[in-house]
Amino acid sequence: MKKITRRAFSVLLLAVLVIAGLTVYVLRYIDHGADWALYFNRLNSGSSGELLDRNGVVLAAFSANENDYAADPLTRTANYHVTGDYWGRTGTGILSTYWNRMQGFSLLTGTTRSTAATTRLYIDAGLNNTAYTALAGRKGCVLVTNYKTGELLCMVSSPAVDPADPNAEPGEGAYINRALSSVFVPGSIFKLVTAAAAIETVPDLDTRRFYCEGKGYIAGVEINCSGEHYTQTFEQALANSCNVAFSKLATLVGQENMVKYVRSFGFLDPHKLGDIPTAAGSYPTEFVGDPELGWSGIGQSTDLVNPYAMLRFVSAVGNGGVLVEPTMINTGKAPVKSRFMASDTADKLRQMMAYNVSYAYDGDFRFGGLPLCAKTGTAELGGDLTSHAWFVGFLDDETHPYAFVVLVENGGGGLSVASPVAYRVLQHCMRLE
Amino acid sequence: MTVTELFLEYMLRASKYALILLSIAIIVRCIRSMLREQYEPETWAYIRTHEGKLPVNHWEVILGRSRSADVRINQKGVSRSHAVLTRNDYGVWTVYDIFDRSGVWVNGERVGDRGIRVNDKDVINLGGVNVRFQEIPLERREKLEEKRSVPGRGVSPAVTLLELTLFQLFLLMQHAMFAKEENLPTIALGFAALAIMQWSCYNAMRVIGRSGFEVETLAFYLSTLGMSVAATSTPDDMYKQILLTLAGVILFLIGGWWLRSLQRTATMRMPVAAAALALLAVNAVFSDVILGARNWLIIGGFSFQPSELVKVAYVYVGAATLEHLFREKNLYSFIAFSAMCVLALALIGDFGTALVFFICFLVISFMRSGSIATVILAVSGAVIAGLLAVTARPYIGQRFASWGHVWEDVYDKGYQQVRAMSAAAAGGLFGKGAGAGWLKDIVAGNTDMVFAVICEEQGLIIALCMCLAVLTLAFFAVRSARFGRSAYYAIAACAAMSMMLTQLALNVFGSLDILPFTGVTFPFVSRGGSSLLSCWMMMAFIKGADNRREASFAVRPGERMRNAPPPEVEEEEEDEDE
Repeated sequence: MKKITRRAFSVLLLAVLVIAGLTVYVLRYIDHGADWALYFNRLNSGSSGELLDRNGVVLAAFSANENDYAADPLTRTANYHVTGDYWGRTGTGILSTYWNRMQGFSLLTGTTRSTAATTRLYIDAGLNNTAYTALAGRKGCVLVTNYKTGELLCMVSSPAVDPADPNAEPGEGAYINRALSSVFVPGSIFKLVTAAAAIETVPDLDTRRFYCEGKGYIAGVEINCSGEHYTQTFEQALANSCNVAFSKLATLVGQENMVKYVRSFGFLDPHKLGDIPTAAGSYPTEFVGDPELGWSGIGQSTDLVNPYAMLRFVSAVGNGGVLVEPTMINTGKAPVKSRFMASDTADKLRQMMAYNVSYAYDGDFRFGGLPLCAKTGTAELGGDLTSHAWFVGFLDDETHPYAFVVLVENGGGGLSVASPVAYRVLQHCMRLE
Repeated sequence: MTVTELFLEYMLRASKYALILLSIAIIVRCIRSMLREQYEPETWAYIRTHEGKLPVNHWEVILGRSRSADVRINQKGVSRSHAVLTRNDYGVWTVYDIFDRSGVWVNGERVGDRGIRVNDKDVINLGGVNVRFQEIPLERREKLEEKRSVPGRGVSPAVTLLELTLFQLFLLMQHAMFAKEENLPTIALGFAALAIMQWSCYNAMRVIGRSGFEVETLAFYLSTLGMSVAATSTPDDMYKQILLTLAGVILFLIGGWWLRSLQRTATMRMPVAAAALALLAVNAVFSDVILGARNWLIIGGFSFQPSELVKVAYVYVGAATLEHLFREKNLYSFIAFSAMCVLALALIGDFGTALVFFICFLVISFMRSGSIATVILAVSGAVIAGLLAVTARPYIGQRFASWGHVWEDVYDKGYQQVRAMSAAAAGGLFGKGAGAGWLKDIVAGNTDMVFAVICEEQGLIIALCMCLAVLTLAFFAVRSARFGRSAYYAIAACAAMSMMLTQLALNVFGSLDILPFTGVTFPFVSRGGSSLLSCWMMMAFIKGADNRREASFAVRPGERMRNAPPPEVEEEEEDEDE
């Protein structure tokens, strides 16, 4: 009988497998329970809810037996990356990330019946439509925030899909929200960051002069420039977007300080727009020589910037150095504010960006006299690739305090390609209350 | 919300928590009593060696030199496993030679193929080493028995049963909130019938002086959840569920009574095997195809699955007494029987059940032979057969193809699993309340996806308790083997539980996409008459192996079993106990 007793333990092997399987299930339940539960239970729990833009436009509405989106196809498509869809094809939409709150689910209680759960956004669906139309099918993104209140008014990533059309052919990366989930070579818009670091660390900056004859040398390595700018002040160098001057400035700031500022401005970290995570950018943090440091100061080298991180930067500059964290969902909570950079630095940058627009971009002609402070970027990608076109900045206007980021991926020149998109969006913004 | 609605909401919430607490209490009490408390073995006789008196704790013991011998005679000349000594129902002791090396003699007579009877004070010679067999007089054994622990002292079975009754009451309360009014009387009747059955059983046990009631309690706990599934999914059919549960309990009692006599049990093995094969043959010829498997016989409007009854027969036939285990030919005939069963099931397309049989076969053949090689051989044979099956029956291959990818095809191949997972998750830890779910209305929701139905309505905690109840029974079966009188009972109990565990695993993990979806029933809980009957009958095997003192009605009390009279006066009438 002892032998039998020992052999009986083989049954316990089965028991162990059962316990292991149950453990797997419990772990999976903790991980995916919400996704599983909400997949079918919206239809069966009797929950209903609505997703509204700031003006009450319905972006998504669901009830026991219906999943609806906005009535009009442009609104559905332009706002796709805000809403997401009911089946979670894009991970960053509200319908994916805020499902739980709209539905009522917790690991403890499972789904709970929620009726008429309304979620109201700060997004202006009409503004998104304008931005999406302005991008005209090109790959890219547009972000607009109110830098005084943090209300995110516009978030568009192109191409997008019409979630109500099951046969829609998604364009390249249509399920990726470029504004939040991607990083890009910044090019000249990064000179704003180098400028901010220089203002705080390089002595006698206003009395310095920068000489450019179409190219310059750092430790014998050539830095080419877009033009021959000869002798310039710091302010003029930004307006000229002079590579020679800004690569020199980066070496004056030094790598240690550059990394410190890039990091403190949040370009190296992921952020959260509400519950939605954003992608982290990059900058050479390991030691590189001065020539490479110079390239990094003009947004080349290994620099990569996430559009949303850039929005935070220009938003803080517009607001005198205080960042009001952008928010998309109107929860009625007070905005989160923090000191992003010294107010003197922000003021100086604001003046320089305004000078940019009037002196270099012919603002009166090109932007119809908008109180615009901005910087272009034409990020060279090497090879045969067309540059990324950037246009970032803000309106220096008490009643229209909007900061923006426009990116046209592989679009070409910042001023020629990205700024017209921004202009159309800002014209719409000026009509807002 | 009106005041009434608010009140009902709070009642529902309170009942959810109460159900969970009661579930945990019931399981924990059963675990304490079955697995935590210490029990002692019986002593039936002694073997006197030069080292002293060695107790014989079972009806079947191995005499030998190895540590795994039940009576260890550590002397030169004795083989590791030398001889088997057995006792029958009438107190007759027989010694068998295992034919390992040197022989066995009793009082100088060489033991042959069929063994030799051993009487009190007989000398058994094991390869030149003499030991003396000594019986224990009945009065002495009674004294020894009194020293053994009786179950139910630390954990009162009545209190556990009271908790189960409360559990049924709260469950009925939840059904009252969600069920249609016209169904309520029969649902109430269902739970009342369960309560009456369990208390009647309990009282009957008390009357015959037995105090082990944990197995029944767990079986009734699972049946209660089964009743709840029936009430939520097929409330118009409650009478059937009640009658089937009643029939199951009666068969359980008959089965347990039957197992009391080892002789009776053992001699009926061949007829049962023949009947099982005949049933499978009839099934293969006359059965109807329902849901992919030709496994249903419809007789007079009642449909039943013959394979469920064959499960019980399989365990009954597969278990064997110790002296049989050392003859290879016995194992071969069992292998042939198993192959026929599994083949018959594969032929009718019930691969889930075939797998249940196969796992049970592995457990039985390992317990009988102790040979890992046999198990490996069997598994590799099965893998080849399985591959053939997949190529021959494409729909089985499909199930494997969709395994792990069910969310990619929620309207076709993953239809059932994704709904099961969604509904199960929707229940959270506490559930939505009995009758409030939606999964029950999906095809096969109340059978193949019953774990998810319980998750949805009663919550994950109770669903896990449900699995824990089966696990507890399995652990108990394994633990009981140590004190069992005969290897037959130990093997039968372990085989029965291996079947249940396999069913549990295939049912639960199949519906949750952790294993391929095979569609077998969860013991006791899945809707299905024949399954319910077979589960109750399986419990008889557990009771048969429960050799704690005065615990099981399926075991005759040792202190009342006399020794056999000496052979000279053999014509004197032999006693049955009680």
